[in-house]
Amino acid sequence: METEPRGDRNRGGGRQVVADVEEPAHREHHIIPVWFFIGVQLLIYGILIFFSGLSEFSHPPDTVLSNLHAPIWWGALLVAIGGIYVYLFRPGRK
Amino acid sequence: MNPSILAPAMLAESGGMVSLHPVDLAIVTVYFVMVLGIGFYLKKYTKSGEDFFLAGREMTAWVAGLAFISANLGSLELMGWAANAYQYGILAAHWYWVGAIPAMLFLGIVMIPFYYISKTHSVPGYLELRYGHATSGLSAITFAVMTILMSGVNMYAMAVVMQVILGWNIHFSIWVSSLTVGVYVALGGLYSAIFNEVVQFFLIWLGALLVPILGLVEAGGWSGMVARIKENFPGEDFTHMWGPMLHPSQNPMGVQWVAIVFGLGAVLSMGYWTTDFLVVQRVLAAKDIRAAKTAPIIGAFFKMAVPFIVILPGLLGLAVLPFHLYPANVATAGQHDYNQVLPLMMARYLGPGLLGLGITALIAGFMSGMAGNVSAFATVWTYDLYRPFMKKNATDAHYLVMGRWCTIIGVIVSISAAYIVNRFGSLMDYVQALFSFFIAPLFGTVIIGMLWKRATKAAGFWGLLAGISTAIGIFVIIREHPSSVAWFCFYAGAKPLAQQMWQALWAFVMVVAVSVIVTAATEPRPEGELRGLVMGLTEVPSEGHLPLVQRPIFWAGICFGIFLVLQWIFR
Repeated sequence: METEPRGDRNRGGGRQVVADVEEPAHREHHIIPVWFFIGVQLLIYGILIFFSGLSEFSHPPDTVLSNLHAPIWWGALLVAIGGIYVYLFRPGRK
Repeated sequence: MNPSILAPAMLAESGGMVSLHPVDLAIVTVYFVMVLGIGFYLKKYTKSGEDFFLAGREMTAWVAGLAFISANLGSLELMGWAANAYQYGILAAHWYWVGAIPAMLFLGIVMIPFYYISKTHSVPGYLELRYGHATSGLSAITFAVMTILMSGVNMYAMAVVMQVILGWNIHFSIWVSSLTVGVYVALGGLYSAIFNEVVQFFLIWLGALLVPILGLVEAGGWSGMVARIKENFPGEDFTHMWGPMLHPSQNPMGVQWVAIVFGLGAVLSMGYWTTDFLVVQRVLAAKDIRAAKTAPIIGAFFKMAVPFIVILPGLLGLAVLPFHLYPANVATAGQHDYNQVLPLMMARYLGPGLLGLGITALIAGFMSGMAGNVSAFATVWTYDLYRPFMKKNATDAHYLVMGRWCTIIGVIVSISAAYIVNRFGSLMDYVQALFSFFIAPLFGTVIIGMLWKRATKAAGFWGLLAGISTAIGIFVIIREHPSSVAWFCFYAGAKPLAQQMWQALWAFVMVVAVSVIVTAATEPRPEGELRGLVMGLTEVPSEGHLPLVQRPIFWAGICFGIFLVLQWIFR
């Protein structure tokens, strides 16, 4: 479907701009919500970081405050956020 | 297991601050797969010029708002402002609060109706409707130049970070990241750019947030951090925003409140947030005018919080790092410069996995900023330069193809621009110089056109030209004769950021003066031609039927209230 390029509605003289702005005057695409992509990515990252954190118990990294085991709880947080987003915005859900 | 053996030999240049583990490399790889995958997925939905250049105008307020703020979260936000926070202290937060919030709210409440109702595709497109071809062409050319240079800044900053942190070859970093951006934007246009920007927004926050959290734990909270800074830098004030502003000699930036309020708050930030098409384009993709008005307000809430992941790490660097950082042109072998403060803080706290996420946050920042520049460049080139001046009346399909090619060409041109960036001592100074060359005069021209129906076509063109010339002239004079800085800034010790605030202010004053004089000498346009473009001649839909909490003005008021409270807390 082709649409007229924006911005040339006033070519050739006086212009009238219509304030028909509440209605989106075009078709809508049925695209998977961006929130689903975010959920997938956070879910993957959360799993990777969480298990990476588990391995730190046997191989502590040489970083400050490593005793707080940030990867464990940060990874769990990412899994939770990602899981919620994937569930709520999965393709086909009404 | 030595993780460096996992990196291809072509990546390795010299030892970096850290080495990536397999899990870090996996996280970075997943990121690249995801952004390219989104680009390929969205290609099938990008079949018209409106799809490619305006994302079909069907974005919700949240998506447009997050993309709006994410396009601004480029490399300079993450690395450059952390560096500035280390150098200037919490004064750097002025660029996030007084230098952003009022302008973003002004965009949403006052200016968006004119952009949206005129149904323009770009800011130069609005100028064409308001002032005609000449002003639009001048604006489009200057924007295209600035955009390409900004893209170069982004790429250079990213490559330096990758070299410093990981020891990656600087040229490899530039080419891989920029070509990835080129591919996904060329495939899905603004759809792809916006989708990826929203994804990148989450990654930037979740990847960068742990540094200030763990930093505050180590420093003993805010008060502990302040005490450590005073101990490390006795006699210097890094933690007050307005107290040291009464005289430029009282703060490390060499600036007083007049320049911050008027140069930064009223001109520079207004120019950037309301007329830089890089960010405005995201708002124009909103599905209706209420979404378009709400998007910058949503962005403003998050913008207020960004100092937590950008400024705070710089301040924490002052408090907890066991050594001092130096300006890039002063640091010697074995010393670190200001620009490395954020990577140093990441290396300090983030182990395997989290480091990969932090690196991904930096890469996401670089790529979102670059994608913003490239997609805006493609739109302005195609609709504001190619169509009016080279090939009128072609089919929509033709302009769509042109937009795709422009994306690739823009990436290649900006790659070459990246190599000129290192001629400047500070990345941020360079970008601020660009802002005041073009953005401040552009804001003057746009706002006069929106608010003053008497302003004529000739006034728009000559005002803009005079403003740009003034900004460039001041820059050149100060550069060639450093002692002349006192003429323009009223203080001989003004630092580059302060100089550029004054430069922007003078450029704006020149735009106003020339526009008024030229308008008085030329014939006004008939009011019928200005309907939908100028205040007083434009019918803005009423929101009176909506509940209070659904009105953009309500949330703008809440946001502005929080902004004022923050100024008071950190005064």
